[in-house]
Order: sequence, then structure tokens, then C-alpha cells
Amino acid sequence: MSKVMNTANNLEALQREQGPLLEVKNLQVDFTTDSNRVVHAVRDASFSVYPGQWVAIVGESGSGKSTSAMAVLGLLAGTGHVSGGSIKLDGQELTELKPKDFDKLRGSKMGLVPQDPMSNLNPVWRIGTQVKEALVANGMDISHEKRSKLATALAGGEVAVKSADDELFISSAERPALMEAAKSGLQKAGVDGERFEAAMQHFEQEWDAGSQTRWRVADDLIQAGMGDDEAWAIAKQYVTGSNMEDRIAGLLSEAGLPDAATRARQFPHEFSGGMRQRALIAIGLACRPDLLIADEPTSALDVTVQKRILDHLHNLTDSLGTAVLFITHDLGLAAERAQHIVVMYKGQVVESGPSLEVLQHPQHPYTKRLVAAAPSLASQRIISAQKQGLDAESLKEHHTKDDAALERSEHIITVDHLTKEFKLPRRKEMFKAVDDVSFSLKRGTTLAIVGESGSGKSTVANMVLKLLEPSAGTVTYEGKNIAGFKGKELLDFRRHVQPVFQNPYGSLDPMYSIYRSIEEPLRIHGIGDTKSRRKRVRELLDMVNMPESVMGRYPNELSGGQRQRIAIARAMALNPDVIVCDEAVSALDVLVQDQVLRLLNDLQAEQGLSYLFITHDLAVVRQIADEVVVMQHGKLVEHATTDEVFEHPKMKYTQDLLDAIPGGKLQLGLD
Amino acid sequence: MSDDMTMTSQSAHTALPGQERYVAPIEETPLHEVDSVDEAAPAASMWADAWRTLRKNPLFIISGIMILAVVFVALFPQVLTNQDPNYCTLDNSLEPARAGHPFGFNLQGCDIYARVIYGTRTSLSVGVLATVLVVLIGSLIGALAGFFGGWIDAVLSRLTDIFLALPILLGAIVVLQMFRTSTSIWKVVLVMALFGWVSTARIARGAVMESKNLEFNTASTALGSTPTRNLFRHIIPNSLAPIIVVGTTSLGTYIVLEATLSFLGVGLPSSTVSWGGDISDAQSVLTTDPMVLFYPSAALAITVLAFIMMGDAVKDALDPKSRTA
Amino acid sequence: MGKYLLRRILQMIPVVLGTTLLVYALVFALPGDPVKAMFGDKPVNDAVAAQIRAEYNLDKPFIVQYLLFLKNALTLDFGNTFAGQPVIDEIGRAFPVTIRLALMAFVFEALFGVVFGIISGLKKGKWYDTVILIVSLLLISVPTFVTGFLGQYLFGVEWGILPVTAGANPGFFDLLLPAMVLGSVSMAYIIRLTRAEVSSNIAEDYVRTARAKGMGSRSVLFRHILRNSLIPVVTYLGQDLGVLMGGAMISETIFNIHGVGYLTYQSILKGEANLVVSIVTLLMLIFVVCNLLVDLLYAALDPRIRYA
Repeated sequence: MSKVMNTANNLEALQREQGPLLEVKNLQVDFTTDSNRVVHAVRDASFSVYPGQWVAIVGESGSGKSTSAMAVLGLLAGTGHVSGGSIKLDGQELTELKPKDFDKLRGSKMGLVPQDPMSNLNPVWRIGTQVKEALVANGMDISHEKRSKLATALAGGEVAVKSADDELFISSAERPALMEAAKSGLQKAGVDGERFEAAMQHFEQEWDAGSQTRWRVADDLIQAGMGDDEAWAIAKQYVTGSNMEDRIAGLLSEAGLPDAATRARQFPHEFSGGMRQRALIAIGLACRPDLLIADEPTSALDVTVQKRILDHLHNLTDSLGTAVLFITHDLGLAAERAQHIVVMYKGQVVESGPSLEVLQHPQHPYTKRLVAAAPSLASQRIISAQKQGLDAESLKEHHTKDDAALERSEHIITVDHLTKEFKLPRRKEMFKAVDDVSFSLKRGTTLAIVGESGSGKSTVANMVLKLLEPSAGTVTYEGKNIAGFKGKELLDFRRHVQPVFQNPYGSLDPMYSIYRSIEEPLRIHGIGDTKSRRKRVRELLDMVNMPESVMGRYPNELSGGQRQRIAIARAMALNPDVIVCDEAVSALDVLVQDQVLRLLNDLQAEQGLSYLFITHDLAVVRQIADEVVVMQHGKLVEHATTDEVFEHPKMKYTQDLLDAIPGGKLQLGLD
Repeated sequence: MSDDMTMTSQSAHTALPGQERYVAPIEETPLHEVDSVDEAAPAASMWADAWRTLRKNPLFIISGIMILAVVFVALFPQVLTNQDPNYCTLDNSLEPARAGHPFGFNLQGCDIYARVIYGTRTSLSVGVLATVLVVLIGSLIGALAGFFGGWIDAVLSRLTDIFLALPILLGAIVVLQMFRTSTSIWKVVLVMALFGWVSTARIARGAVMESKNLEFNTASTALGSTPTRNLFRHIIPNSLAPIIVVGTTSLGTYIVLEATLSFLGVGLPSSTVSWGGDISDAQSVLTTDPMVLFYPSAALAITVLAFIMMGDAVKDALDPKSRTA
Repeated sequence: MGKYLLRRILQMIPVVLGTTLLVYALVFALPGDPVKAMFGDKPVNDAVAAQIRAEYNLDKPFIVQYLLFLKNALTLDFGNTFAGQPVIDEIGRAFPVTIRLALMAFVFEALFGVVFGIISGLKKGKWYDTVILIVSLLLISVPTFVTGFLGQYLFGVEWGILPVTAGANPGFFDLLLPAMVLGSVSMAYIIRLTRAEVSSNIAEDYVRTARAKGMGSRSVLFRHILRNSLIPVVTYLGQDLGVLMGGAMISETIFNIHGVGYLTYQSILKGEANLVVSIVTLLMLIFVVCNLLVDLLYAALDPRIRYA
């Protein structure tokens, strides 16, 4: 720890000495709309990033956080342009730069890890080719590591890097001989038994061609017990620099892509989202930029993958001495990863400062709001409170039922050994999307089904809603098997079990006015006349806190959160018993999400509704559910009360999901 | 380097220059209500929205004026000329323009201006009739195939392939050659519909399949709606836009096709005043009197241009993804 | 890939059969007597008519006629024209001319369509973009025969730089104007397609990523924007090659080129049913084969498309 502390102090001293790497002052970015109106996307924003430092810009969509980052890169979309202020990189003013000179800075001085891994790789080029483009465009030396002054200074405490050739990479051609030499060298030095095995295993893992350098090899050999001179002799003889293929594979494996040499020859569509994001990280860091701009690099990925990738990126940028400007909407994530936080709201910086300080003592009302609403932080507060033996109930939006109360409640929906198989194209065997899942939803309570993409959670929801027929097993509603429902019985079931879907843009017909959308269930079920329906729609709008004037509007005029509130109003129109929320808040900004969750909670308290709540976000579950079902690969992994799952998770997978909630290591005050 | 380390070390030290704690003055960064509705904005359905986009598009304004003019000429030709387009006398053959006959006379000695004016009605009515038929037949068949899928779709797809492999001009000539003696304009309309419905059916099928898979249909089903109700209440209204676009553009295409067929001598009978026929007649005097050919050609080109431009404008308004301008 | 090719060829069979049947039915089953057509206005001797009917299988039921036609077509025996010439000889004379014409039109539309489309797409809103757009709109709106006459008048009559008509054995210069006329409408469509693709690709995320790597604007343009934009354009061009062959009728008639289009038109007018059916069958085969090639090309250009 003391050595680590020391490094941190060194780092800070170096940062003070070198001054800020990036300095943005009073930045103003304008967009011109089709009708020639000027929109100020960023107003008077100032922030700075020091070498080797992670700085986070936090804000909701439209806050100007990504726009500020793109202004730094000189890659503003469409009509966007910097209309005021200054951006300085290493003292050089960027706002007056010619496009040609900007090309020279991008890649080598500043890199980008973009947001959406699906659209940011060109589908027609191999992954390796796209990495190579970065190396070629910046004329990178592919045989030597390019290490920043900062990284050299920091690493200097451990090993002295004497000459430039100490930074030569291992090549794939030399690697077998190197391993042999290391083996016999260790044996000669008298290293044997477990120590020998451990050392060899370490070499096997770490000595990637095109990524590990001569001095690291020498250092590893010395650490393993070899004499300095022998170690350096082996390193000098067998580590003489990599070629292009090696370097590409090295960069990819450094970004955490297994089997990189083979993967480099594949196309983007053969990669999963997480793998693509790793490839994009490799590209962003390929030319060893001083500053990396990471624009929500993991928000499109599953939580556990998100955590692994960010951990990896963090280690990588630390060892390279790369500074990171981290753009995110998640305050917990920002505070966990960055030393300094900048909070943006409607194009302006409203608050900035050291992460923990901002989080613990937010001062601007907007930051206060964000801190209060962020699910990851809220769930963290509950945990902290319980650890300190305080009453955590007051912190929850939802007052969970205790075991006894749950025990007493009537089972309104029971899912019994539910299985769903799908036929995959060009495959013989069936794919089990849901595999033998059983649970019950108790009246007046909320049961959350949690899982990552492909876990089968939405398939369960669709079977409960009788939109899909199970391959085996049953769904029972109030004691009756829903498989047999037809005609009037089915209509009756539909009346009592209502859905709210994930996509607030897709679940409302764009051709229907809000009035018609909410009225549709009443019309289908033949309830009331025009006048009484109008009255009912008014009541429903009031229930979801929407003004009456939206009745004549169309979905395209409303925001995502507003549409979701309309969808809830529509679901409530028939006074249902059960509402199935399929990722109903996942697509919404934190504050809007919080608002919708509160609405759902209030409705449950008033009307005794039961919710089946499908989500990938455990942090949200903490605030709303009584019981949790964890699913993975179609199977039920764990089923318990919410408190039980959070306090004593039984399964490793549940623990992984819990660990992936951002902000887990933060110490939060309760004020 | 672990996270704890960076966290504790940072908070323990004073901030780096330029990174001191900053809180913006609340007066300069006023807080807005979360997700509030802008009640001042006017309500707009998809159609109203499209109309607003359309109204501002110069392409639409120009083509709209042109189409209005063409329609006026087609409806009231007698307002614009008092000459009889069928009054031809060889005494006037290829006479130049003179008072009352601004475009002069053609080889048969007919008044070119009067023939251009009266030809408008022919071209427009053939185009409109063919388009209406094609859109009705095509979208009905396409919608059925898209909605039901299965064998209906399979049969339709094969049928589409067959018709697409046969060039429409070739097919039309072969059939029209059989009905050479008929003098009705309906033969041209029907033949164009016979060979034209496939492309509309393809588009309608695609549109229906796309809106069939949209989430609001699932939502309606879960509310208690039936598939038939979904088809008429949700799917068809949401599939109209691409069909309207293809209809507008087709109108121009069919006017060209009619003129081409008449030019080749298999289209409208020579007793009907038509631009295509007049152009065909004029080709023999192209080298000496090019203006005889020019006037009907220009009328044809302007009319078609108007509809193609209108098609582009409508497409921009209804399908913002595929903007051409 | 071999499997895929085989399956695609098998899939082509019903389309080929269906189309030939359709054409055959249109030509032979519809009212109108081919024998009468053969003699034109001259009176027909009943005995001679019967003999001709037998020779062309016209006395047999329709479906038998069709099957006999198919059987003979497989051995490239399309029978004789009314004048007694083997149909295959007539076709053999006409096809090379049309192939030359279609290829020239193809090169013309591909070259100018793509170049103007790229210029237009990259500089949206500039004055030359507007000019290119207006010209392409005009080319689409003005029927080919009008464009043909206009070209004939301007280049041939007024300026006298190109021949007005081509005649029986046309050379490169004779075909230059007809090819431009033939390719003009497709060129306009290619301009519009290329422009739309280029301007939408510029805004793609991967283009921004490429720029963020530090690539210069020229390599971003060629390696990312153009490479991706050309996939649909190449597909369109491939299909158009088949369409050009069948669509040469107007240009060949105007410029008096004795190619396939001219031959088809003349034989339709004369009621040479056998010739019409044979040519249309061949044209359709070319069209279907072009489509198959396009599919293969598409899969080669876009790695996301698998041979499945």
C-alpha cells in the first residue's frame, strides 16, 4: 500500500508540475437548425483534465456532455461549430486549428472510444484492418512501445528503461524460442517446483506478441528469480520487435480480446457487442494518445460486461499514463471511475469538483436531484444505512413487505415449470429461451425478474401476457390455466393483466392521438359511451400527472418518459390487477426514470396493483421490488426477497450482478 | 492500481489548479421541472407534420403549381383555345405560327397548340386511371401477402419474380398488338395495370410486414385487440405512406409509358389526340421542322417532371429517413 | 458457395418457366390469328393455312404447343421465321449489336452516374449539386424517345458531330449517341442513388471513428464513405445490365440500329410470334442470370451477407 501511495503522490506531483493536459475555457457550441435558428448546445463550459487523470462529465441526454467532448476532438456533427471560448491541448489552441492539423492530433494525441459498439465499426472491413488504419494513419512505429513521459516516470520507480530498444515488442515468430529460453534460464537459475510452474504460467499469459516489451520480459524474469544479466541477455536476444500483424493482435489482446490473432481476421458482425467495444478500445489506444475521450463507452452493454471492460480500460490507461475524459449519464459510475466530476445540465456546467465531495455534498439543486435519483446511489445508501444499523425503510421509495406479509398474500399469477423452445435457423437442435422456470406473484406486491440480455426474462413476460405460448409448463391466473383462455375468458384476462413495454417509441401507434391511445382499451372492451370515456381518459391523465391538453397530441411530440406515462395510463384504463413492466424504465434518463418509478409505486399503494417487473438493472430492483427472481441463460438462478438477495446472495452470478452496480465501493453519506 | 487508492488519495489532497470545487450560481442555471410538457406547441399528427414539411419544400410548391396548371388545362381545354384539334387540312401543312395559331401547324396541317392543349386530357386521364388501378390492385394483394405470410406470400413472391423478369414495355407491346383495332383508351390503362401492379404489391407487402412487426400491435393485442382489428386499425393506416409515395411517382411513369406506346404506334388510336402520337408523326420532319416535335415533347416532359418532383417532395415529407434534397 | 449457387439456379427454374409460359400465352393464346398476320392483307388459302398451322404446331392444344417449344428451345432450335429463315440466325445477327450498345450505355451510366453522384453527395447544397439534381430530374422526366430526338437533332443535324442514324453494321461512333440516350435515365437514377448513399454514409458513426483515428479526409473518403456507398450502387448497376438489353427497343428504333430491340419491335408488328417468344425468352434468361450475378457480387462486397 505504501508503494502505491507513493506512486499516487508522485503522480500528483507530476500533474502539478506539468499542468493541465486539456483545458477547456468558456466553451460555446452552437447548432443551426433547418429553419436557421441557432441552438446553443454548450454554453460557457469550463473544465480541465490533467495528465493520467480520469475526469467524468455527467449529465442526461441533451445536456451537452457528448457535444463538449466532440468539440475537443473537432468532430462536431452536422452544423455544430465552436462559437466561443478556448480549448487547449498541451498548451496548443484547438479552436483555431486547420482541418489538416486536426487530423495530425487525432489518434496520436487524443483518441476516442465511442458510445455504440454496433455502429462504430465499419461492417465491410476486418477488425484487424480497422486497427491497422489507425497505426498507418499516424505513422506509428509498430516495433516499439510509445510510452508517455508520465508513464515512464511512474514506471521508472520499478525498472530503469535505459534505451529506446528496451521498448521493443515480442514478435509472434520469436515467442516460442523466448519461452524455451526462459524455461531453461529459470532452470539454470535453480527455480523449480511450484515457483517455476507459476512463473511459466505467468509468462504464458502475459507475454503477448505485439504487446509486451523487452524490459517487461527482463523484469518478469528477474522477478521470477533469474539474475539481472541473464534476464537482460535473454530479453535482448529474443525480443527484437514485432511486425504489423503482431502489433494488431497485441493491441486487441491488450484490450481484453481473447485469441486476438484469429479475431483480427474476423468482421465486426462476427463479434458480440462487448467484443466490438474492446476492439474500439484497442483502436482508441492504438497510437498511445495522451488523452482518451470515452463517450459512454459501455452504456449499450450488459452490466457485468460493462464492469469488466471498464476495469480493463482503467488498468490499461493507468499503466500507459493516459488521461481519460469519461462521458456518462451515471453519477455512481462517474464517481467510481473518475477523480474529478463535471456535472452538466442543459448545456451548462452546474457543478464540478472532486468526485466524492460532489457526491457526498452536492450543492447545486440539479446535482442534488441527480444524487437523490440515481438508482445505483440509492441502493448504495440503503446498504450503507443497514450496515450502520439505521432504519433503511425511509430511504426506499417502495416499502417492501416482510416475509410474513408475503406468506399471507394470495398468489395472483403462478408460473410453473415454464419452458419455451425456439427453432433456430440452420440449426437442428432447439434453443431453450426459458428453461423450467417457476415462481409466483403475490397480490399487491412487486416481483422483479432480473437478467442480462438473452436470459429469457422478456420471453417469460410474453408468456405471462399470453402473447407467446409456452412449450411446456403452465401460467395460472387466479387459479386458472391461461392456456385454455379463449373468447370472452381471454378478453377478461386481458382486461386484468396489462403490459407496459420497454420501448416508449414503439408501443404507441404514431397515427393515434394520445386520447385515442388511452381510449383504445375502453373501446375494445366496449366500456362506456363517448362522454364517459372522455371523462375516464381525463382521470387517467391526471393519475399519471399529465396535463389534459396532451389529449389532442401525438406520440412523436412527447418525450420518452412522457410516452411511458401515457403507456401506463393506457394500462390503467381498465383497472387491472396485474401490470407486467418489461424494461419499462430502461430507456429513460435517470430523473425521468425516478419519476416513473415513483408513479408506479404510488399507483400500487393506492390501487393494490401487482407488478411483474422485468429489468436488467439490479439497482432499480432495490427501490421497487418485494421479491427478486434472477435469471441466466433461460434458467432461474436465484429467487428470494429483495433484502435477502442484496444482503445474502447465494449464487455467484447474483453476486456478480450486485458487484456490477456502479458505485459499489463508494462510501456514501446519508445527508 | 485499485479504485480505492485513487479515491482516497485525491480526496485527501487539495485539488489541482483549475479543478477546485465549483458550483454555478443558480440564477444562471435555473432548474426546470423534470420532463414537463410543452403545452404551447401546436398538436401535430403524422399527416399534419408531413403537410408542414411539405408546405415549406420549394419542390412541392413548384410541382404543385405545375400540376394545378396541368389539371386545369385537362379539365377546361376550351378556355385556352377555340381551335378544333381534329380540324386538319393539308393546306396548312407545316405552316409556321401565325395569329391564333401560336405554335404553327404540323404535317397533317393541324393546329399544334390546340393538339398540345387537348392532348393534356388524354395523358392525364390515362395516367390517373392506370395509377388508381395499379395502387388499388397492387396494395390489396401486397397487403394480403404481407399480413398473412405463408403460402399466399410464397405464391405472390414467385408471381412478382415472373412479372419483373418481363420488361413492362415489351409485355405491353405484345398485348396491345393483339388489340390494335380497339379504339378505347381503356386497353392501354388495363395493360399498364396488368404489368404495373407487381411493383406496388412489393412495396405494399414490405410496408405491411414492417408495421406488422411494430410493438404497438403487440401492445394492442395485449389490450384485447384481435388480429383483424389490428390490421384495419393499426397496420393499414401505418402502411399508407410508402404506397402514397409510389403512387405519386408512378403517375409520371405511366404518362411516359402511354406516350411511349403511342409513339410506337400500339398505344392510343390515331383518332385520339395524344402527345405520344403527335411526336411519332413529327419524327419524319425532325430535320426540317424540329419545332413540330418540340411542342408536344415539352408538354409531355413538363407534366411528367411535375409528378416526379411531387413524388420526391411527398417522399421527403412522409419518410424523413430517405430525404433526397 | 457451390451449394448456394445450385440452390439459386434451382430457384430460377420456376421463374423462367413461369415467364416463358406467360409470354407464350400472351402471344399465342390471345385473340388474333398468327397465320392471318403472316399474310397481312392478302387472302389466305385454307389448305396452305392448315399446312402452316401443322408446321408451327398451331393445330395442337396450347399446352402441347408450349411444351414442344420448350423442348426445342433447349437445343436452341427456335424454328423458322415466316420467311423461312431459322430464328436462331436472326437472333445471332441482332444480339452482338445490342450487346455492344448495352455495354457502351452501361459504361456511360456507371462512369458519369457514380462520379456526379459522389460530387453531389459530398457537397450537398452547393450550386453544382443543385444543377446535377435538376439535370437528373429532367432526364428521368423526359421520355427516352424525346431525349433521342433531341440528341439526334442537336448532335446530328445542328452540330453534325455524330451520325444521325446507325444503320445495319454500326461502329463505335455510330453507337455513341444511342448508347448515351439508352443509358441516360439509368444514369439519373444512379446519380440520385449514389448521392443519397454518400450523404448518409458521411454521417455514419464509423466514419467519425475513422476520423477520430487520425485518418486524413482522402483515405476516410475512399476507404469508408465510398467503399460502403458503392454496395447498393453496384447492385443497381448489375441489375440494370439485364434491363438495358431488353430496354434498347426505343433507342434502336429511333437510330435505326438492327439489334434485338429493333428485331423484337418489327416482329411484334409483323406478328412473327415465334420470333417474339424466342427473343423474350432469351432476354429474360439474361435478366435472371444478371440478377444471380448481382446476388453473388453483393455477397462478395458485403461480408454481412452470407451465402445462405
